[in-house]
Amino acid sequence: MTGEAARAAGIVRRGIILSGLGLAGLAGVFVLALGFTPVEARQGLAQKIFYLHVPAAWAALLAFSLVGVASILYLWLKDPRLDRFAAASAEVGVVFSGVMLTTGPIWAKPIWGTWWTWDARLTLTLFVFFLFIGYLALRAAVHDAAERARFSAVVGILGLLLVPFIHLSVYLFRTLHPQPIVLKPSAPSLPPEMLTTLLVSTLVFTVLYAGFVTARYGLSLGDEAREESRDAA
Amino acid sequence: MPPEPPQNGEYLVAAYIITSVILMGYWGALWRRAKKASGK
Repeated sequence: MTGEAARAAGIVRRGIILSGLGLAGLAGVFVLALGFTPVEARQGLAQKIFYLHVPAAWAALLAFSLVGVASILYLWLKDPRLDRFAAASAEVGVVFSGVMLTTGPIWAKPIWGTWWTWDARLTLTLFVFFLFIGYLALRAAVHDAAERARFSAVVGILGLLLVPFIHLSVYLFRTLHPQPIVLKPSAPSLPPEMLTTLLVSTLVFTVLYAGFVTARYGLSLGDEAREESRDAA
Repeated sequence: MPPEPPQNGEYLVAAYIITSVILMGYWGALWRRAKKASGK
């Protein structure tokens, strides 16, 4: 194993351990949400889906925002580490979007009476999910590393432009989707036990994001190191 | 007396299982890729 490949293996190991700790934290969130957080009177147990859906949305939008920021910096600095990070963050963002886009409809069915509605928040969220599926497909299709990084950086920046619209869509358009309850100008409108569970879950999803991205970054670095050593041989 | 909350626990169970499957599945996929890359 070359020095770079060994360094990559160390990064992957740290990412796997960190995300493993995140999964243990997720089990803790389940216990906290199911055992120690009150049942909401009007929505019943389905309201507790919120403790996964909202943190998953946070992690997905954090991931896509950081893809955009890393993409802007890549086009400016041409540092391959930024492109590698953007690719890792995009893949992890798609995973968290998968959680957001499945738990949302499962909550909506008993509360709204329908799995899905084509309102602005939901439609924009689905668009950004498809945009980053396209981002990953583009990366898989372009073999020249510099071209792949440049093309995907442009798509990553377009994704970043959608993120504020998703957050503000509940103010800008008529929508069934609930208004923000934490990230808003006034104080959070949740009872303290519910707010604590939501914040703990958000922290756990952030740790999972960091762990997944670290592992995925290390895997890309290792792949590149092996390719370089094959080319050199 | 306040009304009873609606009985919809099956949706909660479905959401928690699907979230666990997606996140543990992705973690497992990364772990398998790491093992394959290290040649073990």
